[in-house]
Amino acid sequence: MSWLIWRTYRAQAVATGAVLAAFAALVIITGMQMASQWHSAVVTCTASHSCGNLSSTLFLGSRTVGFLVIMTLGVPAVLGMLCGAPLVAQEVEAGTSQFAWTQSITRRRWLAVKAGWLLLAAVCVCGVVSGLVTWWSGPNNALQANAFAPGRFDIMGIVPVGYAVFAMALGIAAGALLRRTLPAVGLTLAGFIAVRFVVFGWVRPHLMSAVTTYFPLNVGFTPAGSFWQLAAGYVGADGQPITIPQSTNGQVLGTAAGGIPVSSLPAPCQALAGSGNTPFTRTSEHAVLACAQAHHIRAFLTYQPAGRYWAFQGIETGIFVLLAAALLAVAFAAVTRRDA
Amino acid sequence: MNTAIETQGLSKRYRRVTALSDCSITVPESRICALIGPNGAGKTTLLRLLAGLARPTGGDVCVLGGTPRQDPEFLAGIGYLAQDIPLYRRLTAEDHLKAGAHLNPRWDGESARTRLRELAIPLDRAAGTLSGGQRAQVALALTLAKRPRLLLLDEPVAALDPLARRHFLGTLTAAVAESGGELTVVLSSHLIADLERVCDHIVLLAESRVQLCGDIDTLLAEHKVLVGARKDTSALERAHTVVHAVRTARQSTLLVRLDGPVLDPAYEVSDVNLEELVLGYMGASAAPALAHLTAVGEDQ
Amino acid sequence: MTWLVWRQYRWQAAIAALLLAVFAAVVIATGLQMAAQWHSMLPACTRSSPCSATSASLGSQVGHDLVVLSLAVPVILGFLWGAPVVAHELETGTVNFAWAQSVTKTRWLLVKAGWLLLAAAVWGGAVGALVTWWSGPRNAFYSEQFQPNYFDQQGIVPIGYAVFATALGIAAGALTRRTLVAIAVTIGGFIGVRLLISQTLRAHYMAAVTAYYNPLGYYSPPGGAWVLSTGVVDKYGHVFSGGSAPQVNGVPVTAIPASCRGLLFRDLNTLSRGQVHQAVSCMQASGFRGFTTYQPASHYWPFQGIETGIYLALAAALLAVTVLVIRHRDA
Repeated sequence: MSWLIWRTYRAQAVATGAVLAAFAALVIITGMQMASQWHSAVVTCTASHSCGNLSSTLFLGSRTVGFLVIMTLGVPAVLGMLCGAPLVAQEVEAGTSQFAWTQSITRRRWLAVKAGWLLLAAVCVCGVVSGLVTWWSGPNNALQANAFAPGRFDIMGIVPVGYAVFAMALGIAAGALLRRTLPAVGLTLAGFIAVRFVVFGWVRPHLMSAVTTYFPLNVGFTPAGSFWQLAAGYVGADGQPITIPQSTNGQVLGTAAGGIPVSSLPAPCQALAGSGNTPFTRTSEHAVLACAQAHHIRAFLTYQPAGRYWAFQGIETGIFVLLAAALLAVAFAAVTRRDA
Repeated sequence: MNTAIETQGLSKRYRRVTALSDCSITVPESRICALIGPNGAGKTTLLRLLAGLARPTGGDVCVLGGTPRQDPEFLAGIGYLAQDIPLYRRLTAEDHLKAGAHLNPRWDGESARTRLRELAIPLDRAAGTLSGGQRAQVALALTLAKRPRLLLLDEPVAALDPLARRHFLGTLTAAVAESGGELTVVLSSHLIADLERVCDHIVLLAESRVQLCGDIDTLLAEHKVLVGARKDTSALERAHTVVHAVRTARQSTLLVRLDGPVLDPAYEVSDVNLEELVLGYMGASAAPALAHLTAVGEDQ
Repeated sequence: MTWLVWRQYRWQAAIAALLLAVFAAVVIATGLQMAAQWHSMLPACTRSSPCSATSASLGSQVGHDLVVLSLAVPVILGFLWGAPVVAHELETGTVNFAWAQSVTKTRWLLVKAGWLLLAAAVWGGAVGALVTWWSGPRNAFYSEQFQPNYFDQQGIVPIGYAVFATALGIAAGALTRRTLVAIAVTIGGFIGVRLLISQTLRAHYMAAVTAYYNPLGYYSPPGGAWVLSTGVVDKYGHVFSGGSAPQVNGVPVTAIPASCRGLLFRDLNTLSRGQVHQAVSCMQASGFRGFTTYQPASHYWPFQGIETGIYLALAAALLAVTVLVIRHRDA
């Protein structure tokens, strides 16, 4: 069985290996460049004590390779569509399942060996890609401290392998249920995007309860390391958040005093700010902020601490692997119980 | 003698279509059984049920002493050749033979290779590039190399030219002879002339039901064609089973299954050959609209 | 022939319409929210100093992510609709039916491809139009529609991408004759061409504008421009822009003439106005100028048109190749 799998997928394996090698070469060459650029930057900035604003002045690497790296988000989906979906569907469509399932091998064993090898291959391919991307992003992660951020979290560490296993299982199940390759490809793509979207947007932020820290206005608070900011804002005396137009990385929109829009302050403090058209002077800003603090207005930051990064990676990978197991069970049932 | 195949009331229903209903047949071991029937009669369905590729919706089926099931032992005992001769298009015949060697406990690749070489079929060309006849031979060689005890062939010669058909059937009979009584074959087709030469048992399906099942020689001996001018055939019908009757203005032609001797001198009794037998049974079950077609060519 | 195309693609059209409807529902819902948010902010914003714009996200994360995903719509249309057109029919042998009817291979291909390319244009255009509408408040606030990625989602270029991807899929299918291989080729080819054109070609569609100013100052081109590069240039044309070495406003300290260095070796914020003026004169005397090269906002629609034209031309070329391949190769 394993020999037949190798013989059937020989050409595909070679092609994938070639593409992977090209990607690896590109990543390794640019990555080494970036790493040395980063090292010399750190050396020089440490010597001149100007490391503080390095993240806004230094741009590492080429934008093109950066795009390619972001696009590795799609690798699990492609694996699921091109390797998982045809696994059962193509055999049934071509009729060769009538050959394979009348040899002296049970359908369960046939599927187990075939799916097993291909899942392993997908894990290897995705693992190599993710490993390369994680290594390549090292300097950028150190510079921007954004490894935990949505989008970057998804392409590094071990979660890509979880996604790949899930996508493959989804493809296999889709192919086993629909028995036609193209609809299975479409279903795999749609299902993968939908599940990833839901987990990304609604499940991941709540995997562990976020930490909320309150701090005085105009002091600023930045947690250590690559934390993941979920929300930021201001609370009034009653502890309720003051609704202001805010964004997801803490930048506030609108005329601000120390970060808080004047229009959100209590009336007495707004009066101190004077009429709208003159920009703040330093003294008037101090007065406004002192007034706000007197009214018990504080700032808050809700975030997931950097220390939880690997816990989140592990939990999310676990979720996708569990989903994959369920889908594989469906696939086995579909193959062994239905008519050929 | 043991039976290779025994079914009782076997039926298979898809969502709206009944492909096979109440099918009860017996095929003894080491027979070459012809599975005959018009298109859509349920031949492929029956073969798939016997091979375990499909599950029945009613009735029992017993193949080689057990129910068709997911079991390497059972699977090793049957050989199935599907109608569309599925081979991996990009794999060569040699690759298929290697795959079979890996997938089966008893595998005789050498005789398969010898056979294919004798037929001048290249072993190193992708199966998708071979002609229909060559693919059929490769598929048959693969099925025989398994050394199965029961061979289920679904219209294997349908797409072959007369010479290729001859070769195929010749290979088949040689294989049966070589097996020394170990091999039972069920071969479906609607080319009756071919089957007559090769087979000794027949199962006739029409309208998803079994019309005939038994030893060919015995059946041929039991059936006669009666031609007579008599219009009123009721006496005959009481004495024997009239399978199919064609009545024209001048005479009646009846295919009769005898239940004792024919005593009425008004009828001319003649032997029946397999083709007439099969056509008679198929005509009996054909739709009324087509009934007149069965009389085409006969005396008007 | 048209009837046959419709009959074959009935289900796919229905599913695609359903997905488009879902996408539209989410985009419209979040877009209306965002517009309301923007309208409530507007009075507060314009009252005093200009609103501080960052690359933050105005609006909900869901809408934002979905809009980013819309970048993938062209390639998905390409490999789901385009790749199987010829390849699937070749693989299943149904070409033998189609090409034995009283319709030439060329006509068969042109009618089939024509309808699919039209459908791709419509779907790509609909998605692009929804995203453009959704981005209205963001464009008004951040004026970043000319920036890479934002440029690719809005306007008419999504139509060009979708048509190109579908034509690429069809050509890949005709050349490789295997659906799955064609899908892989379509994905890879699309990514390659898009990266190539957007990273290397796009900046040069029309001549960029370069503005010079004092080397310690900042210059922001009028809103909606696409900044290509910015930095400081010396009299020899040597460019300094950012980096890791100790620098002043992007110029490495080592490059500044010794005469000026003493004036600058402190944080600009602590220098008095007079001192800053002196430093600027010194650097300008040494031939240093600040520069910003950019594509002005007025180039936005010409660029959209040029890029769409390029992709449509590529699609036409691919279609021609497909016709040639189909006519000259055996079925």
